[in-house]
Amino acid sequence: MTDFLAHLDTLLLWAFAGCAFVSAALMLVLRQPMRVAIALVSCMVFLGGVYGLLGLHFIAAFQVLIYVGAVMVFMVYAIMLLDPRDESGGEKFSKLLWPGIIGLSLLAEALAVGYWSDLPPAPRGAAGEPFDMIRFSQAFLSEYWLHFELTSVLLLAAVVAALAVIKENRRHDHG
Amino acid sequence: MIADLVISLVFIGYAISVLMGFGTILTWVERKQAAVMSDRIGANRAYIRIPGTQVKLVWLGLFHGMADGLKMLLKEDFKPRTYDWYAYAVAPWVVFTPVLLVFAVIPFGGSLTPARLWEPLSAFFGDKTWPMQIATLDAGILIVFAFSGLTIIGAMLAGWSSSNKFSLLGALRAGSQMISYELVLGLTVLGLILVYGTVNLDAMVRQQSGIVLGFLPAWGIVYQPFAATLFLAAAIAENKRIPFDLPEAESELIAGYFTEYSAMKMGLFMFAEFIEIAIIGALFTTLFLGGYNLPYMSDAGFAFPGGAALALPHGAVVVTQLGTFLLKVFLVCSFQILIRWTLPRFRYDQVLMFAWKFMFPLALANLCVTAVVVWAVRA
Repeated sequence: MTDFLAHLDTLLLWAFAGCAFVSAALMLVLRQPMRVAIALVSCMVFLGGVYGLLGLHFIAAFQVLIYVGAVMVFMVYAIMLLDPRDESGGEKFSKLLWPGIIGLSLLAEALAVGYWSDLPPAPRGAAGEPFDMIRFSQAFLSEYWLHFELTSVLLLAAVVAALAVIKENRRHDHG
Repeated sequence: MIADLVISLVFIGYAISVLMGFGTILTWVERKQAAVMSDRIGANRAYIRIPGTQVKLVWLGLFHGMADGLKMLLKEDFKPRTYDWYAYAVAPWVVFTPVLLVFAVIPFGGSLTPARLWEPLSAFFGDKTWPMQIATLDAGILIVFAFSGLTIIGAMLAGWSSSNKFSLLGALRAGSQMISYELVLGLTVLGLILVYGTVNLDAMVRQQSGIVLGFLPAWGIVYQPFAATLFLAAAIAENKRIPFDLPEAESELIAGYFTEYSAMKMGLFMFAEFIEIAIIGALFTTLFLGGYNLPYMSDAGFAFPGGAALALPHGAVVVTQLGTFLLKVFLVCSFQILIRWTLPRFRYDQVLMFAWKFMFPLALANLCVTAVVVWAVRA
């Protein structure tokens, strides 16, 4: 019993990681937009669980708060409004299915051989001190502020670009 | 190790029974309080007859909750021919589960030392002390917001997958309303985080057991009365109850996003709403009303402003704290029901205007003033 409890968090970690992997795979395989969104939501929540088990409670909270609470809510909202019941593209798989699978497995093998074996063991939050609000804020505002600002500028540029693309298409439609 | 597991299981059991208890009791309180407010008798028909006699136990209509539960379990489980059965089936759980999970980070009592409660317990538990909270996470309030964001997805999924125009309209309204008010809710709490300098809910409650200005208990509502009002209003809107119940306005949309749900699946939506009343009560108590402590009280006992102190035994403190928390939560719930039976419903554009043009600027102003004052006091 004590033995089981000592390994409980490892067990939970693997369970969460497995669920996150399965939902990520489902997100790629499923074809209906809303189900893809649900799979992505569950992937985010399980990843949050993984962060939480590693002792990074803040990252876990932000993972769920930002990705699920903000980003995915808007995606689900958009899918609900547009309600894309597009039945086109009846072919279930592309012609490049087999080359794709072979390429993926080759990539996975290359990663496993060249990269995975050299990885340091995963840091465990339980051993060190918890990654609390103060450490998080200091790291965020002293080391990563530039990355954060650059990312937001990049996102703004992406939004503007998306708008430009839509406008260009509309002009073609009318003209 | 096993002692930790036992304590956690006891706490989880306590939390679930408290929430389920509140969910059931509040359905009764809602009816009875409405009746009292409008000078009626209210629910009094459900009874249990003692077998073999003509004695009928009515007990002020308390059995109506049981009758409701039984009715929902026994009704036909109607399934519409929807476009997406999976989303339809999973939606009630996406609404219900996060509501329960939120309670995990709320401290419902101070610290518990089983050995000091009853001597023989020390053989098993040692003299270890546990905080009365299921998950002592330093991210506290952030976890609450993370989970409450999930319920929005559940409401939208339910409305979308029902393939019913009323449901879709309800989901649309629920989505935009909850997104808007979630923002206000977050902004009001930010001011409180500035004052306390922490997001850990247990640390917040411990700071509130002090005294401010010589005699007032250092509760959140004393520091941030304005934020407390905004928080409660935004929380009621987040729970989609009158005056903000546009997503399920029965005179316009039948039952809004859960029109196509029947039997216990519909019961889950209703139950989630009533449990959320209790969750809002618990959050408001923890953030603004000093949590599980009576005024001038801490884990050691009472320390009155005049300098007088009263030390209490550990068992008395634990019982007082548990009781105080439940009482405060119940009072806040009752206040929410009072509002529900007092105000008429908004129009839909008014709801969104109220969020963005009235509450959002006020919450921002509150945050700015708080930031300046905190900076001036600390400097």
